[in-house]
Amino acid sequence: MSVLEVRNATKRFPGVVALDDASIRVDRNEVVGLIGENGAGKSTLLKVLTGIYRLDEGEVRVNDGVIELTSPRDAFDHGVAMVFQEQSVIGTLSVAENIFLGREGEFIKGGLIDRGRMNEAARVELAKVHLDIDPAIRTEELSFAQRQMVEIAKALSLDSRIEGDIVILLDEPTSVLEKREVDLLFEIIRDLKDRAAIVFISHRLDEVLAISDRIYVLRNGAVVHETPATDATVTELHGHMVGRSLHHEYYREQRQSGAGERCVLEVKGLGRTGAFEDVSFALREGEVLGIAGVVGSGREALARCLAGLLPPERGEILIDGQPARLDSPARAVGHGVGFVPSERKAEGIVTGMSVCENVTLASLADFVRNGFIRRGDERAATQGWIERLSIRTPSGRTPIASLSGGNQQKVVLAKWRVAGSRIVILDHPTRGIDVGAKEDVYELVRDMTGEGLCVLLLADTLEEVIGLSSRIIVMRDGRVSATFDSPPGGKPNQVDLVRAMV
Amino acid sequence: MAVSFSRRIRSLAPVLVLLALCLVIASTNSNFLSVSNLIRLLSAAAIPLVLVMGATFVILMGSIDLSVEGVVALAAVAASMLVANDFTSLDLGFVALPAAMLLGGLLGLANGLLHVRLAIPSFMTTLGIGFACVGVATAILGGFTVRISDRTFRELTLGRLFDVPYSVWVAGLCVLVAWIIQERTRIGRWVYAIGTDEHTARQVGVPVERTRILVFALAGVFYGLGGAMSASQLGQGHALLSQGRLFTTITAVVVGGTALSGGVGSVLNSVVGVLVVIVLANGMVLMGIEPFVQQGVQGLLIILAVSLALDRSRLAVVK
Amino acid sequence: METFREYLPPVVLVLLVLAVGAIEPGFLAVDNLLTVTADTMTLFLMASGATFVIMMGGIDLSIQGVASMTSCIVAALLPELGFAAVPVALFAGAASGLLCGIVSTRLRIPSFIASLAISGIVTTVAYWASDTRSVLIAAGDRDSFLAWAVGDTGPLQNEILVGLVALLLLGLLLNGTPFGRYVRAIGSQERAVVASGIPVERVKILAFTLSGLMAGLAGVVMAGRLGSGSPTLANEFLLPAIACIIVGGTAITGGVGSIFRTFIGALTIAVVRIGMTFVGVSVFAQQIVFGLILVLAVAITMDRSKVTTVK
Repeated sequence: MSVLEVRNATKRFPGVVALDDASIRVDRNEVVGLIGENGAGKSTLLKVLTGIYRLDEGEVRVNDGVIELTSPRDAFDHGVAMVFQEQSVIGTLSVAENIFLGREGEFIKGGLIDRGRMNEAARVELAKVHLDIDPAIRTEELSFAQRQMVEIAKALSLDSRIEGDIVILLDEPTSVLEKREVDLLFEIIRDLKDRAAIVFISHRLDEVLAISDRIYVLRNGAVVHETPATDATVTELHGHMVGRSLHHEYYREQRQSGAGERCVLEVKGLGRTGAFEDVSFALREGEVLGIAGVVGSGREALARCLAGLLPPERGEILIDGQPARLDSPARAVGHGVGFVPSERKAEGIVTGMSVCENVTLASLADFVRNGFIRRGDERAATQGWIERLSIRTPSGRTPIASLSGGNQQKVVLAKWRVAGSRIVILDHPTRGIDVGAKEDVYELVRDMTGEGLCVLLLADTLEEVIGLSSRIIVMRDGRVSATFDSPPGGKPNQVDLVRAMV
Repeated sequence: MAVSFSRRIRSLAPVLVLLALCLVIASTNSNFLSVSNLIRLLSAAAIPLVLVMGATFVILMGSIDLSVEGVVALAAVAASMLVANDFTSLDLGFVALPAAMLLGGLLGLANGLLHVRLAIPSFMTTLGIGFACVGVATAILGGFTVRISDRTFRELTLGRLFDVPYSVWVAGLCVLVAWIIQERTRIGRWVYAIGTDEHTARQVGVPVERTRILVFALAGVFYGLGGAMSASQLGQGHALLSQGRLFTTITAVVVGGTALSGGVGSVLNSVVGVLVVIVLANGMVLMGIEPFVQQGVQGLLIILAVSLALDRSRLAVVK
Repeated sequence: METFREYLPPVVLVLLVLAVGAIEPGFLAVDNLLTVTADTMTLFLMASGATFVIMMGGIDLSIQGVASMTSCIVAALLPELGFAAVPVALFAGAASGLLCGIVSTRLRIPSFIASLAISGIVTTVAYWASDTRSVLIAAGDRDSFLAWAVGDTGPLQNEILVGLVALLLLGLLLNGTPFGRYVRAIGSQERAVVASGIPVERVKILAFTLSGLMAGLAGVVMAGRLGSGSPTLANEFLLPAIACIIVGGTAITGGVGSIFRTFIGALTIAVVRIGMTFVGVSVFAQQIVFGLILVLAVAITMDRSKVTTVK
């Protein structure tokens, strides 16, 4: 009997199909592994299961009844409990208060909370996860692993309080745990199988293989493979995760320029506690350096560090051979760094302003005479870039908010071109933009390197990083785990990259 | 657990500041520790204590309530017009007390409803309501002052039990009630949940909107009581009798160690905060410093306390 | 929506003027309209600088305190320093704004609390400068040193000229210079401005300084009009000042607004006040009406897409 089932789920966002007719089933007393690359649809699926997203097509069945989940609380009340990767315990409340937060009703006597009874009840739930702590202490005093156990205990508290079985969704539960803690978690998961069905989501394939009974592989929003864990191997799962390759033409490989002589950016032993450690590389003019890695590999932090948004704590940055301190975005921009952030709407564009105002934002000083902005010059420069980058906009005066995502992204690129940036950091430049616009962006990357700029690329997919880069460094757990040359015609294999990533 | 250790030090800081302040003042002025001065201190702290009990809950949610002065003034004027006075012919005695609290509660409810239902930042709605209250109080009286002739109503604050004015006992009772609300009721716990992480609180099913509205109403009740006590203490009601109360209240809350970002702090912290502010004021008087300097000192205290207590890692953009 | 926001306030103003004129035809006389405008200019001056702060998504609650302080300073110093008292007062206003900006940005304290704290400090300065009383300005001093603010030029009161000059200069600053552009950008999407390498803190500090300067100017003009300075002179002006910014169509969430809108907003507030008095609305009810207008205007102009949780 299935405890949780998703049938033919489809979820679309503008320009993207996040879930494409995906079906999964979780049976009683079963651990189901869910794997896939970044963007394969795992997180969308989880958000559907916790009532944050509603499906466009398809249905969710819990304990064999079709259910419309409206919020995480609603999902919880139906027995679907999520243990979030970014934890959702409230540090300033006690362990017991967290376990019963929002459900204190049963402990109220005469309008007041009976703390004794609440702590007693919490102790019962904590025992289920073998956590021997005082339920009255604040959760912020606990270690990360202990807080995770509290969340699991909270899910288990449903056990005696609802009819039907419960499902616990574990989203990357091992990503910040020590080996010893992982073993403990696995012990508890095996123990819990009697009481609950479990969905285990992780990018660590060996762990998924070790703990799961059955495994689903997601790619581009669809379930592409389903296998009992006993029959699967890591290599095979890698193969299913990455899928077929696109044609070389797509990434304009023939226009990939060789590295120039001049080294523009050099990084030596860069480190920041909790983010990345001992990162070194060199970037030459005309080069695209891809940085591959899973979420939490430290590559996002590295990119933000070079953009001046997250100062490094150790190591050295050289620009044109000269030591450079990039401790603010203003400094970084002054050194010729341009940052195209992944959160385009929050950090890339100023939503309330026009295309023109966005294009000149980083170089406004160049358009000033006697203290006043020369709008004519500004408009002329913008018009030039609108044509060069074929930005589809009625005019420079159009509010940028009315442009499509792809064209907004081109405006961000234009901003750095106008500012004369020589090192352009692209953080997921094609995220959330449609296929045609993606190709335009690839075209623009080739244009930039052709003119001697250098690009640091954090790509959306492995295909993209391999297709676009002339060299790739792979990061794992904050360190560089491998480096690949990626010349046209001699591109590295996706499976090799994945192996270095996880 | 280095973080936890430094946090513990930080949570003790307000008490240490209070002790240090007392030591310094006591060493320069022998009158400071005299029984009569200590009672004077407690008496001066009574009304601020009542007011911060309300404001603390609001700030613990990460919101702010700037309507303190207005609500206190209007409640005081209302209370003084309900007891025997020279402005109206009413003589309802102690009915004035629950009436002032009810009025305060309703004004707080208005704060909460406007803030939550129209989704307007609380500093804006409370600023508006606060100003409107002062305006209404001014307009009702046409700039006059109501004089209270009800002796028993005045006894409410001036009368003494064990040599300590009733107002202090009332304030103590308020602290107890606020502490029970904070520790032992759902609303109290939800305030912390909302202030720490509103998103998560909402996800687990905490009724965030309802809690917010109720907390503003609760704060209003405390202000209403504070207003009635002010009227009783001064023996009069007028629109400007609460001048400076907002400042003292917010200074006390932040100096006590309750963070403006929400989630961190407690009503007990605010008790310490009030004592710091009152002792400082008293010390300055004893040292012969002009009373008008107090506002400036309080302004500096706010800046100092907030900048020491603010958990900056939680703030990406400060507006 | 944007066009609606832009043209609604002036249209409302004209309609209100006509409505009040219909009730009381004398209101529409040119003389009377000029007097109303002149009376409104101190409010406008106070709000004009704060408009920059609100456009950045911040708030300045210290403006009434600053105006009171400069009124005391100018009144206290006129007899000794003569005209030089005016720049000294303006400098004090700008300095308190500067301090507010530094406290808010460098110490990362939310602007509403930073400016509240600063208002306590400037109030103390006001009491100190005035020796805790109201300081009278001798008629002679006023005529020789403050005539630029309170005299007449031809048919126009000088308040109007000062207001118009401020409108023009600040309008140019906001619309024509990089500073103004950055102010608008910060209010619109601060993180993107930071990521573009703009020295956001410096821009913010400058905006607060400007707010202090203009509030200071408002205080000087007020002192001239009333013939005295006092530590509570500008009390009760904070809310109307914020109201005229918001009623003019500048959003509390930042990014949208202009000095001209604040000008329109100030006149609107003035006309509403006069209109209510003509119709016989009690002062009692007027305060509630103003509170409601402010709250409604905030609710209408706010950009809700920008705030996820409203605190």
